[in-house]
Amino acid sequence: MRRLLLGALLLAPTLAVQAADDETLIEQGRYLARAADCAACHTAEGGAPFAGGRPIESPFGTIYGTNITPDPQHGIGDYSRDDFYHALTEGETPSGRQLYPAMPYTSYHLMRREDSDAIYAYLNSLEPIARSAPETRLSFPYNQRWGVALWNLVYADALQPEDAASHSPAWQRGQYLVEAMGHCGECHTPRGWTGAMDLDHHLEGGMLAGYLAPSLKAEALAERGWTRDDLARFLRDGMSPQGSMFNEMFPVMHLSTQHLEDDDLAAMATYLLGDSPPEARRIDAHPLEELGDSARRGRQGYLDTCAGCHGIEGQGKPQVAVAMEGNTTLRLEAPDNLLKVMLNGIAAQDFPGFARMQEMPGFASKLSDAELADLSNYLRETWGGRAGDVSPEDVAALREESGHATP
Amino acid sequence: MAELPTRSLSLTINGEAIGPVDVPEDLMMIDFLHEYQGLTGSRLGCGQGICRACVVILDHDDGTSEEMRICITGAHFFNGKRIRTIEGHAERDAAGDIVALNPIQQKFIDHFAFQCSYCAPGFVNAATVLVERLQRDPLAAGELEGAIEQALGEHICRCTGYVRYYQATRAVIEELGLAKEG
Repeated sequence: MRRLLLGALLLAPTLAVQAADDETLIEQGRYLARAADCAACHTAEGGAPFAGGRPIESPFGTIYGTNITPDPQHGIGDYSRDDFYHALTEGETPSGRQLYPAMPYTSYHLMRREDSDAIYAYLNSLEPIARSAPETRLSFPYNQRWGVALWNLVYADALQPEDAASHSPAWQRGQYLVEAMGHCGECHTPRGWTGAMDLDHHLEGGMLAGYLAPSLKAEALAERGWTRDDLARFLRDGMSPQGSMFNEMFPVMHLSTQHLEDDDLAAMATYLLGDSPPEARRIDAHPLEELGDSARRGRQGYLDTCAGCHGIEGQGKPQVAVAMEGNTTLRLEAPDNLLKVMLNGIAAQDFPGFARMQEMPGFASKLSDAELADLSNYLRETWGGRAGDVSPEDVAALREESGHATP
Repeated sequence: MAELPTRSLSLTINGEAIGPVDVPEDLMMIDFLHEYQGLTGSRLGCGQGICRACVVILDHDDGTSEEMRICITGAHFFNGKRIRTIEGHAERDAAGDIVALNPIQQKFIDHFAFQCSYCAPGFVNAATVLVERLQRDPLAAGELEGAIEQALGEHICRCTGYVRYYQATRAVIEELGLAKEG
């Protein structure tokens, strides 16, 4: 009896330490699951966390995020740590089924084993949800999973990080967060005909849901006005002097980047802009007298339909509409993102810390192709440092692509 | 202070041809109505296109009409266009005095639809656009509530809780026979 009691006394602190260790691991996993933005695909809108069901549009068909709660039948309850790491980094389930590469194992293959284990511990601490996600049904030949195995031979681990030895610890941390965890390159890298990232143009910008996910290369970011501080702030708050997030980046901020530590966000910005970042380009507003004919016509259109919210001098209104002065989208070489926002508008958005942006109405039904061309030329010439070379035909093409009729 | 750059503006307001008038390029339409035309019935609320107290009606050549938020739309947007404001709805005699309110205005009063009245001009114009749409294209009675919600739902009222506005609008539409069986 005495021996038992002694044993229990000795064991109790060990168990307590074990429980505290588990708790720490789960918390680490929660953080890392956010850094890896698992919820982006594995949590449906309004659905139970990580129970799957979010549709992901791809050129090959709609792919549904799977249930990754610890339910043994519908989720990952039967996965061992090894199984989980294997699925995460090599895209294969314990039963030998190939995952479609919408699962970014092409980036996660760089994930450290201990980080995978922490995410595993976190996911296993969640409530199991006994519900299967909608089944992905791609058309032939993309439904042939053996094809993915062949694809994997070439592409699964093609992404290899640049040698980090000569860089600062922040840069190295940022590289890991950007390339492996955040898998930023999956959207910001163009894709070839096989659907794989074209790594010769790694992070140089890719198309996503009709919008350009712009280049994240240091020179391109600096050209568009980004400093390390502003980039880190943008990832945390979803807005900065360069503008606010929209389209597919907005949920990335909500689910992932707003939850990251400031040091980690600074590290990501350091990796992207470099230990010695190029100087962010400042553009002073180009005076009206020096603008081209189209842009000058666009000036009155701006005053009539935009200035009420974006300000007569393009200064914007806090919590209402972003400034045009310093706006990064105006500086993109292609006017497409700007034109699409003007045509489609942006729904009202909530940002962290009770910040918000008012709905931007789409002007597809209000303004003609010529008026929108003039307007975009005014914006790009005045504040974007770009030539006023947008034609009504350019607008017409994007109008058709977005499915809008001519007013 | 340098003189503000102006340009010429002509438009039709409540059936009356206005202009050409020299108007600053960046003047908002609500300021043009208030300061140049003495039409002060359109209300400036939020000043950023949210509350819709400022809404006027823009009439198109094809006979359709739409709401415009004039606190965020420049006066020159309306060059060559036709608009109606709250001052244009009631029937007037030769001296310009009001003889009868239009059916929407009257029903809003009958139903005690508004209290402080600040939002009322916007609601009258929104309900007018809805009624005119239904006059062109009547709706099944079952869809009426949704159509009213869609037409008035973005308008903000801080006094009434909206119910009486909705009831009054429904009463106008039913009396005019614009909701079909079904």
